[in-house]
Amino acid sequence: MNTNSHGQSLGQPLAIAGGVAALAVLPFLAGNAYLEHLLVLWMLYALLALSLNIVIGYLGELTFGHAAFVGVGAYTSAILSTQLGLPPLLGLPLAGLVAAGFGLVIGYAALRVVGPQFAILTLGFGAILFTITNHWVDLTRGPMGITDIPPMAIGPLAFDSARPTYYLVLALVLATAYLCHALVSSRTGRAFLAVRENAPLAASLGINVFHTKLMGFVAATAIAGIGGAIYAHYIRVITPDIMGVHNVAALIIVVIIGGRGTILGPILGALVYIGLLESLRVAGPLRMVIFAALLTGTVVFLPGGLISLWQRWRNAHKSENNLPATPTGLPSTEGGAK
Amino acid sequence: MNAAANAGEILAVSNLTRIFGGLTAVRDVTMTVQAGEVVGLIGPNGAGKTTLFNMLGGSLPPSSGSIRFAGTDCTGAPSHVMGQRGVSRTFQITSLFPSLTALDNVRSAAYRTTRAGWGAAILRSPAYRREEAELRRKALEILAFCDLDHRADTLADAMSYGEQRRLEIAIALAAEPRLLLLDEPAAGMNPEEGQRLVEMIRRIRARGVTVLLVEHHMRVVASVCDRLVVLDHGVKIAEGPPAKVLNDPEVIRVYLGREPVDA
Repeated sequence: MNTNSHGQSLGQPLAIAGGVAALAVLPFLAGNAYLEHLLVLWMLYALLALSLNIVIGYLGELTFGHAAFVGVGAYTSAILSTQLGLPPLLGLPLAGLVAAGFGLVIGYAALRVVGPQFAILTLGFGAILFTITNHWVDLTRGPMGITDIPPMAIGPLAFDSARPTYYLVLALVLATAYLCHALVSSRTGRAFLAVRENAPLAASLGINVFHTKLMGFVAATAIAGIGGAIYAHYIRVITPDIMGVHNVAALIIVVIIGGRGTILGPILGALVYIGLLESLRVAGPLRMVIFAALLTGTVVFLPGGLISLWQRWRNAHKSENNLPATPTGLPSTEGGAK
Repeated sequence: MNAAANAGEILAVSNLTRIFGGLTAVRDVTMTVQAGEVVGLIGPNGAGKTTLFNMLGGSLPPSSGSIRFAGTDCTGAPSHVMGQRGVSRTFQITSLFPSLTALDNVRSAAYRTTRAGWGAAILRSPAYRREEAELRRKALEILAFCDLDHRADTLADAMSYGEQRRLEIAIALAAEPRLLLLDEPAAGMNPEEGQRLVEMIRRIRARGVTVLLVEHHMRVVASVCDRLVVLDHGVKIAEGPPAKVLNDPEVIRVYLGREPVDA
């Protein structure tokens, strides 16, 4: 998979500014509450997919446990706010911390193995967390779920409707995108990529493969926990289903269809996923079959995801103009598909 | 690092043995490498050369015996610890970071020599900016050293075989090793490429890097090595300057056959 993309040295800041401006005015164009709600879901999935992308895209390990960490974050903040009356704003970082704690313990155990064995272990740990959440009725109210979760609020500003929540999640998505950009332009992120590409070679260069993977896994689970908490305070109701298999599948589909190992890919994938999910609502349960077919098709025909179409087009466009296919003088891990 | 090790021996291997099940791949090998030397490790297929390399690189723990690198006991140290201490290696089968560009292959490989991590990159600290600029300059210098500067933005898996083999050396050099282990660097090269490799190894030595190489191309070995160590069935059977070793009747018998040595 070609996970790198070159940004245009002059066009890149402009393109980013334009993209952010477009995202900022989107709710005003949406026109109704339903579309605004979909925008929030898009950004939430983008945030979660960006975090999952750290594991799948940068570390090159497939995890089936990501939704469990989203759930841990959601339940942490929901329980703290409903039972202890903690302000949701405080619950947000705590959700990230608790999810990261779970990530540290589970990652410490599961990252001893790699590839399919690691994926199976994360599936197992995810199932354990789901089962505990489902049965520990005293704490989580089990399958009844937690209701009446208070909305997020910063001082007088309450995120009790779609539009303000959209801006909150958008800010987090942009922050996470920047974190990912900084990651792959740093020694740490290059170690991630080295481990993904060739672990024995990475080790021979002094990179501690296990610690590197653990660091990435914990960072990803922390962001997942924060995303889960925002979801809980936005939807106001959570059930153990948030940790379920369909959510695991959804996040993996978003990352792979969009383009793993890039920054725009997961954001684009989330848009496609939410868009199709809603437009295919008439298809009922067939929707998941369509998503499965899309996933398979992407893996076979477009391993770099939808974002790689743009890269292909640009490379073709460049060669037409007798320009080098890849601009020289631009570090390729930097900018990740911006 | 032990300062005394700068001069004199950089690597001391004593009574190193590795047993796989009932097979002794390396038996009781004792050898040293002096700082600044180019030492060749030769022997027929299955002689235990790569097993010895894997133990030196830390990817395979020895069954018994000891390894001292730069005055520190490194017996059984894992691969990344050997890497951090300054032992870099290439692999017998082409081993690089396939979907990264040549430049990023080298920058990723410079892990050991860089300090500014994720946090510094988030804050864009002056130290981070300085290090990134320096890293970029250094990576391009190493690519130029390996005659790959025109390929800086090419993906590693889109390169020709000869370029990939040079990129492997660039990767190993990016870690600024004190000891470089080259596992059959000339494998699959034509005589002209082999000659370029010889020149490159000489220039690597001139950078102050000690080189230990496994190689089958006798022309390469004879023209670049100060000293040869010969293994056969895991046992060291000869050691010394190439001219002497390659004319040793025992070496000729086990390894070179009856053909005269063209060196």
